[in-house]
Amino acid sequence: MAVLEATAVKSPSGTRARGQARPPRLRGSRPQWGLHIAAVVLVLVGLGPYIFMLTTSFKDNQQFAESYWLPAFPLRFENFATAWTQISPYLLASVIVAAGSIVAIVAISLVTGFVLARYRFVGRTFFFTMVAALMMIPGIASLIPLFVMVKDMGLINTYLVLMIPHISGGIVLGTILMKTFIEGIPQTLFDAAQLDGAGGVRIFASIMLPLSLPVVGTVGLITVNGVWNDFFWPLLTITQNELRTASVGLLFFQSQSGTNYGPMFAGYLLASIPLVLLFTFLSKYFLAGVQGGLPGSH
Amino acid sequence: MDPTPHPTRAPRRRRFPWYAYLALLPAGVVLGVFQYYPALSGMYFSFFDWNPAGQSDFVGFDNYLRMLDDDLWWRSFRNLGIIFAFSIVAWVIPLFAAEVVTSFRSDRAQFAYRTLLILPMAFPGIVTALIWAFMYQPNRGVINEALRALGLGDLAQNWVGDPDLAMLSLLLIGFPFIAGLPFLIFYTSLRNVPREVYEAAQLDGVGRLRRVVSIDLPLMLTQLKLLVFLAVVGTVQYGFVAYVVTGGGPDNATLVPLLRMFSVAFQAQDWGYAAALSTMLFAVTLVLSCVIVFVRRGSPGSVDVRGM
Repeated sequence: MAVLEATAVKSPSGTRARGQARPPRLRGSRPQWGLHIAAVVLVLVGLGPYIFMLTTSFKDNQQFAESYWLPAFPLRFENFATAWTQISPYLLASVIVAAGSIVAIVAISLVTGFVLARYRFVGRTFFFTMVAALMMIPGIASLIPLFVMVKDMGLINTYLVLMIPHISGGIVLGTILMKTFIEGIPQTLFDAAQLDGAGGVRIFASIMLPLSLPVVGTVGLITVNGVWNDFFWPLLTITQNELRTASVGLLFFQSQSGTNYGPMFAGYLLASIPLVLLFTFLSKYFLAGVQGGLPGSH
Repeated sequence: MDPTPHPTRAPRRRRFPWYAYLALLPAGVVLGVFQYYPALSGMYFSFFDWNPAGQSDFVGFDNYLRMLDDDLWWRSFRNLGIIFAFSIVAWVIPLFAAEVVTSFRSDRAQFAYRTLLILPMAFPGIVTALIWAFMYQPNRGVINEALRALGLGDLAQNWVGDPDLAMLSLLLIGFPFIAGLPFLIFYTSLRNVPREVYEAAQLDGVGRLRRVVSIDLPLMLTQLKLLVFLAVVGTVQYGFVAYVVTGGGPDNATLVPLLRMFSVAFQAQDWGYAAALSTMLFAVTLVLSCVIVFVRRGSPGSVDVRGM
C-alpha cells in the first residue's frame, strides 16, 4: 500500500516535471498554419467552378468579356429573371414528380412495412426477401424493357411515367427502412392501444404515422435528390418541353443559351438552390441518402 | 430498443389476416409490374429479334454471338476499365484531404472544413457536368483562359473535341474528387481511430507518412474493400457525365457500355440486341453486387454516416 501511495503521490509531480519539457502540448496552442493553408487550397480548388458560376451569373456579355475572372459591377440581377422564365417549368415539373412520388412511396411503404413488421402470415418472409432482393438490381439494367413497356402502355409524355422508376425504387428502400423502424417500436404501445379498443387501421393512423415521421423525412429527401438528378429516364420518355424535369431541362436550356453566359449560369444556380438548401438544413439525412443511393447516382 | 422479443410480437395468430395480404397488394403489384417484369422480359427478349410493335422472332444466342464481334462494345468496356482504375487512384486526394482535416485539433475547424469540402455534393449532377463542359470549352472556357492568362496560350486545347484528350478531360471532371463517398468514409474512419493509437505511435517516433501507411490504411481495410466494390458497381453504370460532356465521342473515344446500349436501342432500333447488351450489363452488376454483400457480411460495422 505504502509503495502504491508513494508512486501515486510521485506521479503528478513527475508529470509536472516532464511538463516543463513537453513540446507537443506547447505546440498545441500554436495555430496550425500549414494545415489551414492546405485545407483552404483544397476547398478553393473544389469550390472554384461553383464560385465561377456564382460570379459569372451576375455579369452581362460585356462584363463577361472585360472582366473574365473578377466579379463585375453593377450586378445584373436581371439575368436571374431571364433564366427563371426559361427554367421555372422544369423546376415545377421536378417538384410535381417528386411530390407525387413521395406520396406514393410513403403511403405504400408505410403500409407494407407495418404489415411485415407487426403481422405473422404465410409468405411473409418470402415477400420481404423478394422486396429486399430488388436492392441488388440496378435500375439501369432494366431501363430498355421498362421503356418498351411504358411505351406500349401509352404513358410517354406524362408525369406518371416520370414517377414510375422513383416509386418502384423508393418502395424497396422505404419498405426496408419502415419495417426496421416499426420493429423497433415497443410492442407495449400497440398492446395498450389494442386494450383501449383500437383496431389495426386506428393503430396505424394514430401511432404509426406520427412515430414514423423521421423515416418519412429520410425517404422524402432521398426521393427529391433522386428526381433532381434523374437524367436518362426523362431524356428517353419525355419529348414535350413543359414536362422536362430539372436535369434534362437544364441541358436543353444550356443549348438554347448560346453565348449568353450570364443568364446561363444564373439558370444553373437557380436549379441548384433547392438541393443546396436541403443539404444545408438537413445535412445528416442528405448524407444518409447519398450513402443509400450511391450505386447508380452517377 | 424492444426489450420484449418474439413471444409478444406474434399475438394475432388466431385470425387469418386476409387484410394483411390486401395491404401488401399495392407494393406487390408495383414491384411486380415495374421491377420484376421488365427485368425478366429483358432477359427473355434478348433471345429474340425483338420488334416491340409487332412479330418477334426467336433467334437463340444470335444476339450474344453478335456481342462477341462488336468492337465498339468491347472498346466501351476498355474505357470503363480506364475510368475504374483512375477513380481508384484518384482516392489519394480524398485520403490526403481527410488526413489534413482530421489533423486539426479544434472540432470546429474540422467540421467547417469537411462541410466546405463536401459542399459540391449538394449541387445537382447536371450542374456540375455543365459547368465542367464550360470549363473545357475551346474559346472562352476557364481552362484555356487560365492558360492564356499565364502566357501559356499555346497549350490551349479543344479539350473534349480531341480524341486523344477527351478521355483525360472526362476523367478530370470533379477534380479534386473530394466531394463524395470516399472522402466521407476516410474522414469518419480516421475520426473513429482511438487517440491512444496515435499517441503510442508518436511515442514510438512514427512519422506521418508511415502512420498513414502502417496504421490508417490497415484500420480502414474493410471500408476500403466496400468502397472498391461500390466503385465497380458505380462504374458499370457510368454514362451520364459522358453523355452530357462528350456524348461518347469524339470518334467513340469516350464511349461507355451504357451509351453503346442506348445507341443500339434508340438510334438503330435494334431492341433484341440492346436487350442482350442490357442483360449482359445486368449480369455483370449482379455478380459484383453479390460480391459486395459477401464483403459487407464480413464487416461488423459498415459505413456509418450518422457519426459525422
